[in-house]
Amino acid sequence: MKTKGLNTKIITTLVKKEMLDVLRDKKTVLMMLVVPLVLYPLIYIGVMQVMALISSSMETQNYRIVVEAEDEGALLDKLMDVNQQNAAQGESDEEKDAQSYEITVVDADSISDYETALNEEAIDAYISGQLQDGKMQYDVYYLSSETNSSYAAGIIMDILDDLREDLTRQKLADEGMDVQMILEPINYGKQDIASSEQSLGSMMGSILPFMLVISLLIGTMYPAIDTTAGERERGTLETILTLPVTNRQLILSKFLTVAVIGMVSAILNILSMGAVALYMYKLMDLQTEVVSLDLAKFIPAILVCILAVFAFSLFISAITMCVTSFARSYKEANNYITPLMLVVMFIGYIGFIPNLELTQTMAMVPVANICLLIKNMMVFKIDYGAIAVVLLSNVAYAVMAILFLSKIYDSEAILFSDGKAGLQLFERRSNLKKGGVPTVSDVWFVAALTLLLILYAGSMLQVRFGLAGAFGTQMIILLVPLSMVVYTKRDIRRTYGFRQTAAVGYLGAAILIVGLFLINIVVSAGLVSLFPDSAENVETAFSDILGGNALAGLLVIAAAPAVCEEMLFRGVILQSLKARYRVSSAILITAVLFGVFHMSLVKFIPTGLLGLALCVVAWWTDSIYPAMLMHFINNAVSVALMYYPEQVGKLLPVLCKNTLTVADVLCLCAAGAIFAGIGVLLLRKSKTVNRQ
Amino acid sequence: MIVVENLVKTFTRNEKKNKKSEFNAVDGISLTVKEGEIVGILGPNGAGKTTLLRMMSKLMNPSGGVVSIRVGDEEISDDIEIKRHIGYLSNNTKLYGRLSAREFLQMLGILYGLSEEDTKQRIQQISEVLSMESFLDNRIERLSTGQTQRVSIARCLVHDPQVYIFDEPTLGLDIISSAAIIDFMKGERRRGKTVLYSTHYMEEAEFLCDRIVMIYRGKIISEGTPSELRAQTGKSSLRDIFSELISREGMQDEN
Repeated sequence: MKTKGLNTKIITTLVKKEMLDVLRDKKTVLMMLVVPLVLYPLIYIGVMQVMALISSSMETQNYRIVVEAEDEGALLDKLMDVNQQNAAQGESDEEKDAQSYEITVVDADSISDYETALNEEAIDAYISGQLQDGKMQYDVYYLSSETNSSYAAGIIMDILDDLREDLTRQKLADEGMDVQMILEPINYGKQDIASSEQSLGSMMGSILPFMLVISLLIGTMYPAIDTTAGERERGTLETILTLPVTNRQLILSKFLTVAVIGMVSAILNILSMGAVALYMYKLMDLQTEVVSLDLAKFIPAILVCILAVFAFSLFISAITMCVTSFARSYKEANNYITPLMLVVMFIGYIGFIPNLELTQTMAMVPVANICLLIKNMMVFKIDYGAIAVVLLSNVAYAVMAILFLSKIYDSEAILFSDGKAGLQLFERRSNLKKGGVPTVSDVWFVAALTLLLILYAGSMLQVRFGLAGAFGTQMIILLVPLSMVVYTKRDIRRTYGFRQTAAVGYLGAAILIVGLFLINIVVSAGLVSLFPDSAENVETAFSDILGGNALAGLLVIAAAPAVCEEMLFRGVILQSLKARYRVSSAILITAVLFGVFHMSLVKFIPTGLLGLALCVVAWWTDSIYPAMLMHFINNAVSVALMYYPEQVGKLLPVLCKNTLTVADVLCLCAAGAIFAGIGVLLLRKSKTVNRQ
Repeated sequence: MIVVENLVKTFTRNEKKNKKSEFNAVDGISLTVKEGEIVGILGPNGAGKTTLLRMMSKLMNPSGGVVSIRVGDEEISDDIEIKRHIGYLSNNTKLYGRLSAREFLQMLGILYGLSEEDTKQRIQQISEVLSMESFLDNRIERLSTGQTQRVSIARCLVHDPQVYIFDEPTLGLDIISSAAIIDFMKGERRRGKTVLYSTHYMEEAEFLCDRIVMIYRGKIISEGTPSELRAQTGKSSLRDIFSELISREGMQDEN
């Protein structure tokens, strides 16, 4: 009777307990039921009210205008015609939706001057007309800050257009010409071939993902807080830990509870939203007799949406639980979850962005992938590969998050913490003590936030603004962590390692990077031959954003990262981790993060290696400056290769080769090893120099 | 019987100026508590009592040393199996307020590996002994302090464990509630169970415990029956014995 594995009886008992516990909490039930069952109908009623208001305010608007023109007869006649037409239209009730209006021409003598009259809203528009070179010049004066005045001006402009056309026609007819053929030599029109299902789908496709993502987040938020931070606050965590239950069983059951509640609330949301949408549609149908919809066409889309909701609820439950597990109380958990909510909402808007395609890469970007998948399904773009990638990647992320969660539950430091090591970012600033390096939790939080920002905002900036955008990305990398460091009153010099170091350290760093660069050529070539598809990836990584100016390139691609990326990685991250963990683990974690930040499978190993070397240099020299120098040299060489491939090729042909021969590899490795070796020796020496 | 050999727990403390210091909250404690015995753990705040008891109940992993439980001839050292034989109670083991006492105990029984039927019977039995019938189906959050305390005791009893580990169980309780706990411990001793508990109340320890273990800065500084401790120090009350032993330790440290 061992219970090591995932004993179903234990899990079901635990889930039952969590469910009872959570569902007896009013807040959770409120969020689960009230939002879907009350909010959507309320929104609907609100929309209807607003629409009613708008249409009532549109009822026969009377515009008062003044006309002062030399030959005003034609214009006044035209205005009268329009009034008559409008009156006739109002009676026939054919176009009730279109606004009907009446124009009252006020005697010019009743106003002193048009400016005061407009400002006092005595009139809505003033028309002056003068003969210039045998042509009438009409000027319409209005007040754009007044809605009625703007409308009046618009209407008058239309009337003047009509008047001009009337006069043209008359003139042509007078000349005895074929008016129709001259004015309208061709006829045209546009025909929408989108079925009414497609139109409805495209409308739903932009709103639905956002609504679903948010409702799922809200639905899972409270149970996630309740089962993690809430349990800790109520003091039952220690009780449950006395039971013969493994951490994994415990976490899995908590996770299942949260995910199931999330799914149920999401399904309630879909049902309620669907019911309201259908009701609205039925109402519209009665009024306007649109072509009827074949709702059966939406069945595959709805099925995939439900699957997506399931996958996403797994993902979002796991993520929210990770975040809330660090909190010791409800209040604290709420603080932690707010930024998560903002990020998720921000990404949820992606459904509203036109022309964003669900590419293979996009299919792996959390939150965005779900939004785009639902959007695509709603307009009947079905790509089974993408569906699979989206669903699987969400499940995979959820699994990773759960593994991380069990790490948290294994960590006594977090479970029995008095909170000193926790997030300080959300503490009131006056409660924080000055000095020291950031806490590990703060660093994780900021690293995650920065990664998310450059993932979403950064890539957008780069695509939009090229080099300037790339510079913006670097600024994100610099400023986001810096604001945390400043807010939590950390010691800037220590956090960033701004310390002077022996000259030999710089020399060692410069020589080491040359060696590493050579070795990385071999590594990259090896990786490209392993993953040939990604070759383009590496080559075009920068070339998309390159401008013509090599100096700007040097600044943005070499100098800025040397400062900004170093300050994040070898500064905030490395120094904070080093203060809490063993140096070797701190260096390894930082190097891996550095690799991950470059967001490319192929670049991961070379950048990881570079990161490793930079960390070691920062550690040995006890300063960030040599690492900055190294980073600059490394990137500067890449910049030179991009801007002056021919010159560099002549100087060092091996750098520009597409395929390396065995001799090349051996030469590169040998030269790399020699340079790296000398660099390391010099750096070791700098370490002893610094000690003395 | 519960046996602890050379148990160590090391915590890392962050201090100013980028320095970490490691200190042993529990520093090489060996201890055996037999069947039918109540052993009291005494020590000032921060002596390592809670950490020791948490490690013995497998809430925390020791940095070094072994905990094992002997039931008859069987020796148990697997974490989960040890938990199955321990009833642990502390100030931090709160109850699920939104569940009724019966729902809560029923769930515990299943998690301890009892069948549904056995658990039901067991709850019936316990609630008679602790006279809990009247509030068994009320939500725990609506119970009085005394009633909650009885549910807490019932929680430790559901699986009829061999070993009871209580961390300051009477702290902050009124006379009646703490008497209930003391009676309970005495009763379990009569039934041949192993009881280990920590306390600050000297008088309580003096008349209840078969043996007393004094710890200070993570180490056992003295151990024995109350009369043995009196002989050792020449003091009569446990309070004086305690102060005497600690001041001796303090002198040693300075030398």
